[in-house]
Amino acid sequence: MTKHNIRTSIGNIFVLLLVFVMLVPVIYMILMSFRTGEEIAADPLGMPSGLFLGNYINTLESMNYFRSVANSVGITLSVTVIVAFVGSLAAYPLARSTNAWGRAFIMLVALGLATPAFVTITPIYVIFRQVGLLDNYVGIILAFTALNLPLAVFFYVGFIGAIPRDLEEAAKLDNCTDFQVFWHVIRPLLGPATATLSLFVMLMVWNDFTYPLLLLTDPDKFTVMISVYRFVGNHNIEPDLLFPAAVLGSLPLLIIFVIFQRRIVSGVTAGAVK
Amino acid sequence: MAELNIRNAIKRYGPVEVIHGIDLDIADGEFCVFVGPSGCGKSTLLRMIAGLEQTSEGQISIAGRDVTHAEPAKRGVAMVFQTYALYPHMTVRQNMSFGLKIGGTEKTEIARKVDEAARILKLGDYMDRKPKALSGGQRQRVAIGRAIVRQPEVFLFDEPLSNLDAELRVEMRVEIARLHNQLGATMIYVTHDQVEAMTMADKIVVLRDGRIEQVGSPVGLYEDPDNLFVAGFIGSPRMNFFAGKVTDMHDAGVTVTLPRLGDVAVPVATDAPLEIGHAVTVGVRPEHFDPSGEITAQLAIDVVENLGGVSYAYSTSQDNAPPVIIEWRGKNRPRQGGTVAVNFDAGCALLFDTASGLRLR
Repeated sequence: MTKHNIRTSIGNIFVLLLVFVMLVPVIYMILMSFRTGEEIAADPLGMPSGLFLGNYINTLESMNYFRSVANSVGITLSVTVIVAFVGSLAAYPLARSTNAWGRAFIMLVALGLATPAFVTITPIYVIFRQVGLLDNYVGIILAFTALNLPLAVFFYVGFIGAIPRDLEEAAKLDNCTDFQVFWHVIRPLLGPATATLSLFVMLMVWNDFTYPLLLLTDPDKFTVMISVYRFVGNHNIEPDLLFPAAVLGSLPLLIIFVIFQRRIVSGVTAGAVK
Repeated sequence: MAELNIRNAIKRYGPVEVIHGIDLDIADGEFCVFVGPSGCGKSTLLRMIAGLEQTSEGQISIAGRDVTHAEPAKRGVAMVFQTYALYPHMTVRQNMSFGLKIGGTEKTEIARKVDEAARILKLGDYMDRKPKALSGGQRQRVAIGRAIVRQPEVFLFDEPLSNLDAELRVEMRVEIARLHNQLGATMIYVTHDQVEAMTMADKIVVLRDGRIEQVGSPVGLYEDPDNLFVAGFIGSPRMNFFAGKVTDMHDAGVTVTLPRLGDVAVPVATDAPLEIGHAVTVGVRPEHFDPSGEITAQLAIDVVENLGGVSYAYSTSQDNAPPVIIEWRGKNRPRQGGTVAVNFDAGCALLFDTASGLRLR
């Protein structure tokens, strides 16, 4: 075995170890979802004796699963589409701005990235209560949009900055207005970037717990994460319902990730090589 | 097709003026080349004509219409960019038809114009390909096709061949010249390559530091430059310049003594009012060194470039001045390291005022 091979093997073992550490909670969650409550209580780290699907049937009945998934999908997709559109539209002039004001505005947007989400929740709650947007789909979508826009603008400014200006100038000579330049030339070139951004936004919105918990009160409007949390009581948890609920709650996002994986990866690595 | 007139055009970026009052007339159907070193303002002037840069002062008219502050698309110009600027997400057909589509032209009319341009540029086989699946030359043809379909009054080319390899560049040069003959359109072409300028242009505009140095036909600029800059810029290899002093005056002109050529006395015809001792520069092109010339000088040759049909001998002096370049054809070419006797005809020598750089005629 050469020195190079030994080094590669050590590297591979280290990576596998890291993957295992990351996957342990997920594997544990999936394994536990097939065990009965008694089995988990008797031996929390034991393996399932078989594929017990009763937990899933009970969970689907008690957590209003399809309704909450529909809520989560609707909110997540709405936020993602609005954030991608508004974010790219806002980023376009900022990316092309050469004056000090433009650069200052980009820094202001970057400040939005650094602001923790819980800092904004109180003002948002107070404002929404005043304007009647509590317990309202529009309200939660607006709140998530505001929360994610700084990331989108910052993200798109970098990507748009790398698009050659000649393309815009060619489009202007082709009779395009500024918006048409954006719509027909810039926007289509942001595909990979949008896929990557969408993943970040989807993960954040889908998994967020605080905003829906505070802004939504009607159980019919609850997102998946709130529905999953219902199985965590103040003094006890119901593992035979909580674990399947957690699996079911993560499943739609996993499916989306598998579908968009290729575009997401190309967006993350875009610009790395010519 | 149309003529283009520029009157006192000035471009400023904040307090910095980069184009200083350009006056220029380009006739209908003329092929005009802007040439000059990097940073001379040739691309800026072209972009001012296109409307991609605001004109700070002055007036630009196309076909008698003042377009100084008109939108780029309303000027009747089409531009071919150095980087091609093809929309990467569109096919060749979509690239070529995009402008017409945005302008609201009917589909059948768009198809007719695009097919016609594709036929002229032999792009028929590539119409459904994306730009990334095309070679550099094909991309450049698509960029030209995109300009053709718009049927502009003036075509603008911004260093369109500089991204191509040498062979393709020659090929495309011929193709653009053929296109100009075929369309009879007014074309303005920016390049820093004076071979492109000399071979393609009806009219060359030599620019330096945002000012026009001289306007004229390629042969006119080559044979009759107005100043040292134009004389040195037009022609490859460049013209040799010899610093000297007026040592004698006679009816037909003056006699100039050139220390670099061993204090040889060169009689040069001029009507300029000069005095004995006036510092002048004499310009002699490399090909004007000819064994039959009446002026003879001795030069030490340190480098010889043999290109087959022609050789260029370089003679470097010790004062860091540019080397003297001598073109040599036929047999008995000089060898590196030797000293040769060179001759030239005084009638070929051009006289310049050293202080101002202006030609003394």
